[in-house]
Amino acid sequence: MSQPDVEERRDLKAAATSHRGDRIFNGIVIAAAFTALVVLAGIAIFLGVQTIPAFQSQGLSFLTTTAWDINTDPPTAGIWGMLYGSVLLAVIGLVIAVPVSILLSIFMVFLAPKKLATALTNVIDLMAAIPSVILGLWAFYILNPTAEEWQQLLNQYLGWIPIFENASGNYLGTPFIAGFVLAIMMIPIVTSVTREVLARTPPELINAAESLGCSMWTMLRFVALPYGRGGIVGGVMLGLGRALGETIAVFFVLKIVFDTNWYHIIESGGGSVATLIVSRFGEVSGEFELSLLLAAGFFLFVMTLVVNVIANLIVARTGRIKS
Amino acid sequence: MSTVVFDSAALPELQQQKIQRPWRRKPAKLGWSIAIASIVPLVIVSAMFWSTNIPGAVLMTVVYLPLQLVASGVAAWATKGTRGILDSVIIVNAIGATLFAMMVLVSVLGSLFVRGWAALSAHFIYQNNVYISPSTPLDYGGIGHAILGTFLIVFIASLIAVPIGIATAIYITEVRGRAVPYVRFFVQAMSGVPSVVAGLFILTIVVATDAFSQSALAGGLAYAILMLPTVARTAEEVLKLVPEDLRTGALALGSTRSRTVLRVVIPAAKTGIVTAVILGIARVIGETAPLLLAAGNSDQTVLNPVGGPIAAIPTYIFNNVALPYPDAVARAWGSALVLIILVAVLFTLARIFGRGRIGK
Amino acid sequence: MSTAEFNTLTSLEGELMSQRETAEIEMAARDISVWFGKRKVLEGVNIDFPKRSVTALIGPSGCGKSTFIRTLNRLHELIPGAALAGQVLYEGSDIYSRDVDPVQIRLKVGMVFQKPNPFPSMTIRGNVLSGLKLSGMKRDNHDDIVEKTLRSAGLWNEVKDRLNAAAGDLSGGQQQRLVIARALAVQPHVLLMDEPCSALDPASTLKIEETIRELSKEMTIIIVTHNMQQAVRVSDSTAFFLAAENEPGHVVEQGATTEIFGNPQDQRTLDYVNGRFG
Repeated sequence: MSQPDVEERRDLKAAATSHRGDRIFNGIVIAAAFTALVVLAGIAIFLGVQTIPAFQSQGLSFLTTTAWDINTDPPTAGIWGMLYGSVLLAVIGLVIAVPVSILLSIFMVFLAPKKLATALTNVIDLMAAIPSVILGLWAFYILNPTAEEWQQLLNQYLGWIPIFENASGNYLGTPFIAGFVLAIMMIPIVTSVTREVLARTPPELINAAESLGCSMWTMLRFVALPYGRGGIVGGVMLGLGRALGETIAVFFVLKIVFDTNWYHIIESGGGSVATLIVSRFGEVSGEFELSLLLAAGFFLFVMTLVVNVIANLIVARTGRIKS
Repeated sequence: MSTVVFDSAALPELQQQKIQRPWRRKPAKLGWSIAIASIVPLVIVSAMFWSTNIPGAVLMTVVYLPLQLVASGVAAWATKGTRGILDSVIIVNAIGATLFAMMVLVSVLGSLFVRGWAALSAHFIYQNNVYISPSTPLDYGGIGHAILGTFLIVFIASLIAVPIGIATAIYITEVRGRAVPYVRFFVQAMSGVPSVVAGLFILTIVVATDAFSQSALAGGLAYAILMLPTVARTAEEVLKLVPEDLRTGALALGSTRSRTVLRVVIPAAKTGIVTAVILGIARVIGETAPLLLAAGNSDQTVLNPVGGPIAAIPTYIFNNVALPYPDAVARAWGSALVLIILVAVLFTLARIFGRGRIGK
Repeated sequence: MSTAEFNTLTSLEGELMSQRETAEIEMAARDISVWFGKRKVLEGVNIDFPKRSVTALIGPSGCGKSTFIRTLNRLHELIPGAALAGQVLYEGSDIYSRDVDPVQIRLKVGMVFQKPNPFPSMTIRGNVLSGLKLSGMKRDNHDDIVEKTLRSAGLWNEVKDRLNAAAGDLSGGQQQRLVIARALAVQPHVLLMDEPCSALDPASTLKIEETIRELSKEMTIIIVTHNMQQAVRVSDSTAFFLAAENEPGHVVEQGATTEIFGNPQDQRTLDYVNGRFG
């Protein structure tokens, strides 16, 4: 009896217990864990179905043209200008937010005294917490007049550059203002990721750079920024995902026009899918227009999903390299 | 041999030595050059500000920043030589970027307080909007119905998202099944769903099923979609902090997996779980687009989760911002102030609970 | 089998038993080898643990003692990639056979860890009774259990007036004795102790050693220790583990503690117990 009769290796698994409580518990937890997948699939299916009537009536031009005449016969609708507009606004936002965020992170990590840096971290968190409707309210009443002045000056002195052309003389509702508001929303997102990756620059690398007599510039250029590059790119992509889906803040400061504004960023009028949905929803003319809006929502969903997945993959990969 | 008399004067060097930090000593010229480099541009810009009518913000970005860059560059060159110039450029820009962000924040919060304060009064907090038109003076009506609506919708969202979010975190940290990487991936993907899409999704269900209309329940469902990833990810971080010792300790006592989680791990992470819930609420409480689509609007106080359209603070702000009536706009500012105070309270609570250490 | 034959057999067995009554085997490791993933960390361990005795497992760090002790109550399998060959016999049957519930094994084979791990969310009293709650075991007279186990663990006099205080308020040594009391409350037959004193001061160590001697009158104790004097003071028998570099650990020598320390057969054991390495 006491002679061993099991010589071969047995692989052991901890999870398998025969207790009823454990089995119920596992079942509930696994079901909950897949809620995220179910919701994502639900969004894709429910909104995806709505693209059928849109494509049936408009064909591919729903994606490639810019129009919204629902009550004509036949109705025409195309969201190209909105899709493009979302990207344009996000790019304007990035152009402002990325340098500011990186410089802000450099200040917090390498320049500011510890207490100030902690306080700034809290302030940036607070900035991230400002609801977009409040930013929209602020932009509508406070930012608009100032931005109007800036844009006039830009046009006055740099008007010979095509992007600063303005033929109408109307400087409100421009992509520039909307992009600026998006930049304010992106700065906390990009900053918090950038700050973290810069702060995780191994001190031995910084010491090595300093012992070689590097100036701060060379340390940043050759040590800290290359080291944190992946994380910074990931943070920027996260901000981009947020900007693409932003609705309400843009709603108050962008005049939605169904005419593709390619690059006149200080000319009134532009596009944004998310804002289109909210602005048309209030006066939706019937089931057909509603399904067009839902179809637009589907493409917004796909666009942000792709950006977010890439962002998270980048952030995850740099995280792995570090650990 | 003579006796040695202790003479304190014999040890002056050691006793009186002061604490010194020679590495902190700055080059002699540094103080002067910093002073000159910061004062000169400021003087020039102030002179321009008072003598010309160029707007202040433009003056700061177009004149002051380049001027400051040049001045600091010169100062750096004077003290550290050429390799100091690029450093000074970075430092000036970094400080500039920080000031810019702070300015924006101060402008947003300042305008909220200045303009919002005017609309605030006791009845603004508890009255509802029945019999109130956009032109009604601020002496009447309030956003009591919207505050209650926000609370109701957030409560419904929490009822759904908190258990599911925590259970998702438990799957990742405690059950550790084979699907963990996939689950984390889906949760992260879900956190990127735009709020307007979440609203549309619930709306399609509302329209498709006819089971319920725009209501607090529908709004709560839309909020829950946005809340779930925040709760799940924060709870995951928190559960990871629970020492492994406690889990093995419980299992060694003959505990089952579920009892270990429910009676040992979760109680040990109690404060952190509370933080996760608060952060989830803070994430959604100001979201407007989902409620525009899924919850609708009402002037009345609605307390029935399925009692039709319901008001909430964000949608109330949304509906009043662009009206051509000063009193309606003032109401929007007032409600915005109430909303930001709610958010600030939530974040302070999260900080307080977040500080409570695991295991103490 | 006829009744007569059966009687002779039992009487024979009875004779044998009476001869070595003190050496009745409670637990035994039979040819245990252990892997973490592909890495083999233990090979061919055979040890008998007689009832109501104290067995010390000694050896330098990294030789697999702690891994071994965790195979005895199936905690080893909590580590992903864990694998095992051989048998662990408890009252004659393999605790790793398919139909055995690890929870039942852990109830019979309690464990005390290196670092005291009282549950922070519970009171002192709650900690003592936590095993009953967590395992779903029903026992009456909770007050009696609390007093009895705390007395056995040598903690009663220090905490009797503050049973409802948080467990985290106790000192490290008190916490460790609280954890022992917690393990005793489910009435295990075997108590595993994985370096229970390594995180404690000498006074607490002494108290816990007294506790171990007291407890060994009623149960089987298996203790991993780095402290040679402790092994001599508390144990009846000792097993010396050793692992050559990049090779799995194994038992070099085992036997009565007096033999291992007084008259070791193996040169390596002699060197180790005399403090020449490890």
